[in-house]
Parts: sequence; C-alpha cells; structure tokens
Amino acid sequence: MEGAALDAQGSQNKVLIVEDSKLVHRMYDLMLTQYTLVHCTDGLDAMQKLGDHPDADLILLDLNMPRMSGLEFLKTIKKDPVFSQIPVVIVSTEGKEEDTNRGLEAGAAGYVTKPFQREDILEAVQNTMGAQAG
Amino acid sequence: MSESQAPAVVLGGPSDDPGGIDTIRQLRQSLERAAELSKALEEDLEKGPPVIEEPKSSDELDVLKRRLDESEKDRAELVTQMIEAEHQAGRLMNLYVATYQLHANLDPGEVQNTIAEIARDLLGAERFVLILKDDDGTRCEVALASGFDEGDAGPYSGSHYEGGDALVDQTLADGVLRLAANGEQDAEALAAVPLRVEETTVGALAILSLVSHRVTPLSDDRDILDLIAAHAASALFAARVCSDADSKVRTLESLVKLTRGH
Repeated sequence: MEGAALDAQGSQNKVLIVEDSKLVHRMYDLMLTQYTLVHCTDGLDAMQKLGDHPDADLILLDLNMPRMSGLEFLKTIKKDPVFSQIPVVIVSTEGKEEDTNRGLEAGAAGYVTKPFQREDILEAVQNTMGAQAG
Repeated sequence: MSESQAPAVVLGGPSDDPGGIDTIRQLRQSLERAAELSKALEEDLEKGPPVIEEPKSSDELDVLKRRLDESEKDRAELVTQMIEAEHQAGRLMNLYVATYQLHANLDPGEVQNTIAEIARDLLGAERFVLILKDDDGTRCEVALASGFDEGDAGPYSGSHYEGGDALVDQTLADGVLRLAANGEQDAEALAAVPLRVEETTVGALAILSLVSHRVTPLSDDRDILDLIAAHAASALFAARVCSDADSKVRTLESLVKLTRGH
C-alpha cells in the first residue's frame, strides 16, 4: 500500500483539481489516494476555493472549462503574489505542440495530455512537487 | 439508410466480458506470479550475500553463469509482470469509473454528458456523435455532436441522422460493434458502438476522429467500447423513465391540488 505524501510539516500534500468533468474528478480520487484533494469545477470555483486553501502544494488544471478557462485562471494566479508560487500542471485533451507551449509560457510547470494513465499523473505530480521542494 | 456493406472489423455482438471478469482473472494471475517471484527474490536476499569463491573448474563457472542467467530472466519476467499488472489495474480503474459515473445520475442530460466524457477523456475521441432512435425506432435523433466545426458535421449536421455512414448504418441496424478497417468505403466513422437495452439497439455512438496525440488504435480500448455498448443505453433509458415518471407525478399532484382547491 502506498503511504501518504507528506509535506515538510508532516501533513498530507494538498492538490487542487480544477476540472469540469465529473468522470475525471472520480479518476483523480482513485489515482491520487495519498494526497488531500480539493475539487473545483472551473476557474472561478478554483479562485474561490484557493482562498480557503492557500496552502495547496499543486494545482492540476484542465484548459477547456465553462465560466473561466484554464489559461485565464493560470494567468490570474500567476499575477497574484500569494498564489503565484503554487506549481500548476495542465491536464488537457489539447496536445499539439503550440497548446503545450502556450501553457508553459503562461507559467505552467508541466503538461499532461488526456487520455492519461495513472503513472502519467503520478509522475507529473511527484516530479513537480519534488522540483518545488528541491 | 445506406445498405452498402463496408468492410469493417466486426467485434461481435453483446460483450463477451461485460463485467471485466477476464481482465480481473488476468490481473489476479499477474499479481500471483509477481508475488511468487517477489517471494523467491526475498528468500534469496534472506540467505545473505553469496559467498564469492574462486571457481575451481569450468563446470562451476558454467553453473554460476546458468544461475545468473536464470536470475536475470526472473528479474525481467518480474518487471514485465509488474508492468502488465499496473496496466490491467489502470484498465479496471477506467472501467470502474465509467460504470460508476454512468449509473450515478438519473438526469438524462447528465447521463449524456457522462457518455461524452467517456468518449473524450477515456478514449481520446476528438469528433463523435451520439445517435438515439426515437420510440418507434424509425428515425434517429442526433442527441449530441461534439468536436465539429460549423458546417463540417456532414450527415450528422441536422437534428436527425438520415443515414450515410455505412459503418454507423450497419451498427444501428444489427447492434454489432464495428471498427473501421483501412480504406473503408462510404464510412467516415472510425468506430460505431451500438447502444443496447437487452437485445434492442436504441442508438449508437459514432467516433469519427481521435486526438492527434493518441498513438494506440481504438481496438486497444475494446473494454471501454464494450462497456458503452452494455451500460450507456440502460443508464440513459433508466434516466428517461425516471424523468418521465417524475414529470407525471408532478402533473398528477398539480391536478390533485386543483381538484381539492375547487
């Protein structure tokens, strides 16, 4: 059994999921059992929930969402001094090179394309958190 | 609808393994074999490091070489089994999530959304269409068309599908899951997945293209295609029945209130 992923203070690492698909939220629940997950349905919802969870260690971000898209959300938090240090990994069906570049230029730390396997997400989460801690 | 016969990969009627029983069996076997190999390695480790002695003869060297080769082979097999077990676990997880979400809601719109999410997020479908037959089975409604540019949907552009894609037409007629072979005539769809309630075909999911970064063929996801065929229609059917019943109850309640009011 996998142990919980802990931060420097010994508490479980917190991952904010920003995604409009209920199916994908359910997949994250099963794939990332060692993390505390905060579920958000779009960019606006995520902005509100970030206020309650400024200690999030990572954000997994979809691009195509209603109300506020992933890129809008990313640009907004990168301007915010409180949240700009939280690493963001984009998880999207858009997998062309220009899509990836656009996300990385906007400040994302990583990019995973859908459909994804459990190991793809775990690798992205662990690498990004590891890089942040290092 | 077109009666032309397109050469397709016909994948059979109702799923042979709708509950993923074979997958679970394979996974169990992989895990058991991995456990055996892991136990053997642990036992070797418990014996402590091997005492290295100068080999006395070429026979002893041969024996050592053979043992080393066997250990290497075991290690490689263990790695293969672990990767296979991980892969099987991922497939089971996808099947579980898809089934759970399909039956988690009794709102017909939400069930349609879930079918779209399975197509997009689990299969990597870029353009796809959900077609549902009407109550008497004579006309086909385009319930959902996703990923099309304006004016680019071909036979799926209107509110009803009148036929025109041979693969989809055949699947709507006989309820058989089909994957397109190369060079298909009169067929744009890559896959036509029947939606069945018991033995009746009530519609189809037509997948017309996949996201460009998906490198594996759709046949690799036969489990999920089977699951859609077996579960999507019944989930949709249950949601519609519930929605209709709810609407009738509300109408009756209104009538009762009116009657009592007078």
